[in-house]
Amino acid sequence: MTFLHPWAIWVGVAAAAVPVVIHVLTRPRPVRMPLSTLRFVREAVRQRRSWRRLRDYILLILRTLAVLLIALAVAMPQWGARRQIADLAGGDSLRVVVLDLSQSMAARSGAVELFERARTAAAGYLRYRPGLAANLVLAGARPRGVFDGPSTNFDALRDELSRCRVLPQRMDVNRALDMAARMLAPTMPEDHRRRELVVVSDFQRSSWSRADFSPLPADTQIQFESVAPAEPPVNLAVLRIEGRPAGSQGNVQLEVEVGNYSPTARKMAVDVALGHSSWRLSGTCPPGRSTTLIEEIGVRRPGWEWGEARLVGVDDALPADNVRPFVLHVRPPPRYVLITRQAAGRRPTSSLFIECALASLGGAGVSPGAGGAGVSPAAGETQAGRLRHDGGQSPVVVRVDPAAIDRPAVAAGDLVLLDHPGKLSVATIKLLSELMRHGRPVLYVAGEAIDATNLKRLCEAAGSGLEMPVEFAPPSAGQARRDLFYASVRRESPPFAVFGDGLPSLMGRLRFAGGLTSRRASNGLEADILATYNDGSAAIVLTSCEAGALAVVNADLAASNLPKTSTFVPLLAELIELLRDRHRAAAAAFCGEPMVVQLPAEAGSAAGLRVCGPGDLAGGRADSAGGTPAPQAGADADAGRYGELADEAAGAVWRWDSPAAPGVYRIERDQATAFAMAVNLPAEESRLENLPAEVLTSRLAAGRPAVYRGMGDEGRSRDDQWKWFATACVACILGEISALLIFRT
Amino acid sequence: MTDRTTSRFLDLRALGALEQMRFTTRRRVEGTFMGYHQSRQLGGAGEFVDFREYTGGEDLRRLDWKVLARTGKAFVRIHEEETNLDCTLALDASGSMRFGAAARRDGRGSKLEYVQFLATALAHVITRSQDRVGLAVLDEGLGQWLAPGATASHVGQAQEIVENLQTHASLRMAGGLRQLFERCRRRGVLMVLSDFLMEDAEDVFAALRLFRHRGWDIVVLHVVHPDEERLPEGMAYRFEGMENEGRLSCSPAEIRAAYRERFAAHLAMIRQLALAGGCDYRRVSTAIPYLQTLGGFLVERAG
Repeated sequence: MTFLHPWAIWVGVAAAAVPVVIHVLTRPRPVRMPLSTLRFVREAVRQRRSWRRLRDYILLILRTLAVLLIALAVAMPQWGARRQIADLAGGDSLRVVVLDLSQSMAARSGAVELFERARTAAAGYLRYRPGLAANLVLAGARPRGVFDGPSTNFDALRDELSRCRVLPQRMDVNRALDMAARMLAPTMPEDHRRRELVVVSDFQRSSWSRADFSPLPADTQIQFESVAPAEPPVNLAVLRIEGRPAGSQGNVQLEVEVGNYSPTARKMAVDVALGHSSWRLSGTCPPGRSTTLIEEIGVRRPGWEWGEARLVGVDDALPADNVRPFVLHVRPPPRYVLITRQAAGRRPTSSLFIECALASLGGAGVSPGAGGAGVSPAAGETQAGRLRHDGGQSPVVVRVDPAAIDRPAVAAGDLVLLDHPGKLSVATIKLLSELMRHGRPVLYVAGEAIDATNLKRLCEAAGSGLEMPVEFAPPSAGQARRDLFYASVRRESPPFAVFGDGLPSLMGRLRFAGGLTSRRASNGLEADILATYNDGSAAIVLTSCEAGALAVVNADLAASNLPKTSTFVPLLAELIELLRDRHRAAAAAFCGEPMVVQLPAEAGSAAGLRVCGPGDLAGGRADSAGGTPAPQAGADADAGRYGELADEAAGAVWRWDSPAAPGVYRIERDQATAFAMAVNLPAEESRLENLPAEVLTSRLAAGRPAVYRGMGDEGRSRDDQWKWFATACVACILGEISALLIFRT
Repeated sequence: MTDRTTSRFLDLRALGALEQMRFTTRRRVEGTFMGYHQSRQLGGAGEFVDFREYTGGEDLRRLDWKVLARTGKAFVRIHEEETNLDCTLALDASGSMRFGAAARRDGRGSKLEYVQFLATALAHVITRSQDRVGLAVLDEGLGQWLAPGATASHVGQAQEIVENLQTHASLRMAGGLRQLFERCRRRGVLMVLSDFLMEDAEDVFAALRLFRHRGWDIVVLHVVHPDEERLPEGMAYRFEGMENEGRLSCSPAEIRAAYRERFAAHLAMIRQLALAGGCDYRRVSTAIPYLQTLGGFLVERAG
């Protein structure tokens, strides 16, 4: 227990002695008087002495307590609190102030941004004091120090402090702590200066729960300055917006995830603007949780679409997360190239099952969205029931005989499927590997023993860019591969996640036959094995191959019951979606965090591409929802403003170390959008829940002396204690009065 | 008898107002000489009281011959003799009697001084009526004793003893009374002047009952100082005992009521003991001038 005003304790002790001193000094000097009836006086005194003594003790205790309680109230005791760093005086010391610049610091509490409180708090630690050297770490996604190490130039530190602003980023806590640790590290063995780390933040749970203070010197004193209010402020946010194909009409199911971080359920409405259209999604969100609002929308034509989702009628603590940009890539119906030596129309064959399934997907389109924002189907031009042709004009599935590979036809396909292809020629293997490296997904249905050889040669042709998690081999002689079933699947991830809770029952009915045996490859990733049979062989494998991807379905579909079940089409659709959408996760970008995006193959070479920001005019439908159209074409990548575009082996790559503002960024060629991506705020910045002080000081601080001071500590909690002591003092006085009344007679 | 005027406690001018008053008793007394008091002896030389029928063996000189001649019946004339009395003043000389004194060495205002005035006046009044007065000073024992007498020199001696009375720290008086009882042979009046602030009050009255059994007339004059009845006003006092009882500091206000109750109980107890022992009891407050007290006392005695 410490005291804010320890001098008051001594004053209190002195004050407690005052009644005694006053009593002694003002004690009436007794008048000496001879008395003949002394024995009567003595008897009377003896009678009253027990009562008097009890009363006197009670009064003395209550009076002394009252005085001491007043002193304690003035002294402002702080239970369990260590001494504040700012209060320490004297001696040489190093101090690093880490200031949180993350988006959550822009939250308002009492009409004041938390960051303004943080700035004031940080300034208090950046005042000159003899022997003190300090530095300021501005901690966003990429923390930076004002100086390389602690400095005595406090003016510069405060000047930098006054200029800094909240960034639309999340804080990389551990990176900031590493930087502070480097600054505080002793430069020489005899460096015994006191080391102080001051962290000024809202200590958002999502960022600080994984904080690691172990890099700090062991003797570092840590001061946590929280600017967050005791109760998290009410905040509503758009957390995610995504488009999924819906039905066979070419519609898109728009999913908008909204978060309600308030103590009460709320009706929330979101205006979604996409191109020149807009929709309003509404629903009720329970307190402290997120809810997904769903709306099925129609998309007119292929291409890149972008827009934003905006909460309507919301006045919350953090307005910045009430709007979220997104991108939809509406692509033309995909063209599938099916390389098989099985004759068309012959049934039942494996290739026929695949062909029918692909045709049933319709425009199934399944095209990858970019920018982490959405996937949209192609416009509803492909109708169910059309098997090999779309409207009688463009074929959806093109059968290619492996013996007579039509190279342009294969290259024109959006997805290459191989089923019972027999032994592939060297040229075909080379073609497939090149297509994969340039971003073309390949789905190989391995039902025959020769497929093991093909896959092996394909891996060899792809080189180091393709590291299969398993090595497939033909089943040994006499080994019957039948009645196989899925023993383990990655139910939380595609392609199985779409089945939800019904997955076990669906999978339990599936029986497989044929296929290849497999054994784990030393360099492969186990995560690439999506399903495994009961005999331990891999069932479905999906591996990246530079810009493209290769998926292997290890089964003879004609001998399995999968094509005869309702699971087949959605499973195949999800697998194709996963193959084509392989680069989508990498394309998700957040402000302040470095990104590397592999541009789609159709974007071509980096030469001639340029990047336009949210406020720049796009060549196509630039002003759909973004910022104000600019009169000229937007800033170029060469300026480095939006990162850089470069050609790599797998195609064009867009690198950006630190995406600045949230919004939609587009890559154009000849004023046509070749790629678009939304840079967003991290969704976890919207949840303004704070980490408890005990976790910071006891668990995360790793045994270092740590002090936590909340925003209301000086005002509220200490005042509360003062009130308690004052109340107890009043109670003592009342008790004294009561004792006087009780003992009066 | 020659009045002695040397005692400073004898104010003849003031006592002149009581010139016509006498100290009387309610019982017959034994005396040596003729006096104003009814004698226990009934004879023929005194005041005629009544006739009584003659019985055989009686002295024929008391036979009323004229009545015998007129009525033929023999009646005896009864005369009551009057005699003087012996009154012994027993004075309490314990330390508590000095209470009320203005100063330690100056006894003015004390109960003792009051008793000295009252005893001197009583001695004067008693001896003026041809009665004899004795004196006993009771402290730790029987301090001084002067047998009853009526001569001027005797009275002067008694007044001198009273004048030079000194107190002694003592909480017992029964012993002195018993010694006095052993010395007194004739019946008379014993007048006890005391504050009865002693530990052996019951023994004192037991001793007085001895006198009563012998036919003494006991008069108890309970001397009370008004400052004893209530404690003084003030914040703090250090009370010192007057009979080596130590000292005690306290605030009178806190114990005033309890003290008053105890002192009242003490007064009631003394009165109860006195009346139960057949004594005449009279509380004498020093707030009342002794002459007024004496006058009232004599009037009351005279009936």
